[in-house]
Amino acid sequence: MAIEIRNVEKTFGAFTALGGVSLDVRSGELLALLGPSGSGKTTLLRIIAGLDHADAGEVSFDGQDTRDRAARDRKVGFVFQHYALFRHMTVFDNVAFGLRVKKKAERPAEMDIRRRVDQLLTMVQLSHLASRYPSQLSGGQRQRVALARALAIEPKVLLLDEPFGALDAKVRKDLRKWLRHLHDDMHITSIFVTHDQEEALELADRVVVMNHGQIIQVGTPAEVYDHPADSFVFDFLGGVNRLNGVIEAGVARLDGKAVRVDGAVGADGPAVIYVRPHQVELGVAPADGVPDGKWSARVSSLHAAGPVARLELDLAGRALEAQLSRDRLSDLALEVGSWCTVDFRHARVFPAKS
Amino acid sequence: MTAAASTTATKPARRGWAFLAPTILPGFGTAFGFTLAYLCLIVLIPLGHMALRAADVGWDRFWAITLAPRVLHAFYVSFGCALAAALINAVFGLVVAWVLVRYRFPGRRIIDAMVDLPFALPTSVAGIALTAIYAPNGWIGALAKAAGFKIAFTPLGIVIALVFVGMPFIVRTVEPVLQDLDAEVEEAAASLGATRWQTFTKVLLPTILPALITGVALAFARGVGEYGSVIFIAGNIPAVSEIVPLLIVARLEQYDYAGATVIATAMMGVSFLMLLGINFLQRWTRSRHAR
Ligand SMILES: Nc1ncnc2c1ncn2[C@@H]1O[C@H](COP(=O)(O)OP(=O)(O)OP(=O)(O)O)[C@@H](O)[C@H]1O
Ligand SMILES: [Mg+2]
Repeated sequence: MAIEIRNVEKTFGAFTALGGVSLDVRSGELLALLGPSGSGKTTLLRIIAGLDHADAGEVSFDGQDTRDRAARDRKVGFVFQHYALFRHMTVFDNVAFGLRVKKKAERPAEMDIRRRVDQLLTMVQLSHLASRYPSQLSGGQRQRVALARALAIEPKVLLLDEPFGALDAKVRKDLRKWLRHLHDDMHITSIFVTHDQEEALELADRVVVMNHGQIIQVGTPAEVYDHPADSFVFDFLGGVNRLNGVIEAGVARLDGKAVRVDGAVGADGPAVIYVRPHQVELGVAPADGVPDGKWSARVSSLHAAGPVARLELDLAGRALEAQLSRDRLSDLALEVGSWCTVDFRHARVFPAKS
Repeated sequence: MTAAASTTATKPARRGWAFLAPTILPGFGTAFGFTLAYLCLIVLIPLGHMALRAADVGWDRFWAITLAPRVLHAFYVSFGCALAAALINAVFGLVVAWVLVRYRFPGRRIIDAMVDLPFALPTSVAGIALTAIYAPNGWIGALAKAAGFKIAFTPLGIVIALVFVGMPFIVRTVEPVLQDLDAEVEEAAASLGATRWQTFTKVLLPTILPALITGVALAFARGVGEYGSVIFIAGNIPAVSEIVPLLIVARLEQYDYAGATVIATAMMGVSFLMLLGINFLQRWTRSRHAR
């Protein structure tokens, strides 16, 4: 089911939690809502689910306005950040809940309920724990019960609020893959909230970046990563060097040397040059000075565990992080204290905020 | 008072005879000895002594006294009214607690303070106040009279007095549990398609139930033991509105010590059995709850 969100606003007292949000969610896609804490992700999700009401704007499902549809009539599966399981019910009864509260006419026979719940529990790999209570489960298991419970009503839309937020890194990774497979099998329009950019980029078909109650950018993971709309998105998608420079006559300059940048350069004045660590190109420093157009830096520390080496460089008093393969590192024969040349494969420049 | 906490506390005991289980807490011997001595002095010796005195009268007379119609009826009134009042309070006390926890309205603090009044008032004050209103010449009593029935001087009056004294027990035991309820659990139920009523009966009530039963048990126990407020409003008509404690006092006033002791012992026995029953009920609801 497609969801159209038009100019949705929500305020809490004088505070604007959502300031005119518009978004089209395509049928069957897995969409990530990414943004820092307090950016309005949960608020937007709750409005879609009908758990909160927008002050203005509209949300429609397949072109039908949802204003008058209560949460219970929306067929939206909601997985809460803290699971919100019914703790006096067994895992089985939790999952069966949505089926058992259906109107008499629509309610499946108890035998069909059993079959359906067993199916769901098998799918989330919890059939052996059906008779446990939520307090007897691990965090990852509770998470999966919450998911199975939401799926039991055959929702048209699945909303997940930081589904992996409270789990440790290993379990997160496993569940992430598992959720992706699940989505590929079931094709339910799904939106999940996260403030972990890696999770959003890895899992989602499209990523929505939010900040201060606004949508900043919508795009595929590659689009938002390679072409961030602004400095916030660039920053938020992680691992970035910010170097203070200037824009002079339409050219970005760092220490007087011109920097090749992607996209618009902007008006003259102080500016910040953004470079991702893996876009920093290092070279062997020539014996006689520095070739034109390049900078020179000194290695201040070096971490070479794993396939990728991370270097901290000192570029005329600025800290600069660079990433390169271990092979490239041994070609360059760099070590702490040695000099090298620096260039940038891709960089962006944004006016400095005053 | 979460069910989870209390069940984990009782769990190790179930594993077996935990009397001498190794423990890391020091001073078990002293504390246990003190507890035993204290309970003996305050509870066991006085009550045991009373039971022995009752036994003095002999088996046949014991039953003759307790099974006399007037005594039986007093038991029926005492326990019946206490149970009715506790159940009425279970419903309306829950509503009061719900309103106090869920809604913010002007005067909330005043209502909150009013709930505790029955705790603080001497029960005779309650008795006088209630009688003044519910007696046939009081203004609610007059309405009832016009409608053709009496409140004061009937078991109905006793129930009202017991509702009054028992209400804070329910409100105050249920309130913290209601406060702890997670709003998200209700929202989860709603998003799964449950109506408000289904959410209440299938999700909220089971969560509140252990606390509610505790409150009912307390209110019931209090109702059975209540004396001060009841004697005013009950009118104490034998075989109509006479409660057991009053019957005991009446026997004492007639210097019938043996009779008083026998009735008192019977009362103790019944109360004990009922509390035991409630205890089992509580354990049962808790074990169904988060284990
Ligand atoms: N019921 C409420 N009353 C007042 N303010 C609220 C309420 N709910 C949310 N807010 C505010 O609205 C803003 C957005 O909240 P929201 O929960 O949507 O953030 P979020 O993006 O989900 O953050 P997080 O990643 O921390 O969960 C926050 O600043 C929050 O303080
Ligand atoms: Mg949130």
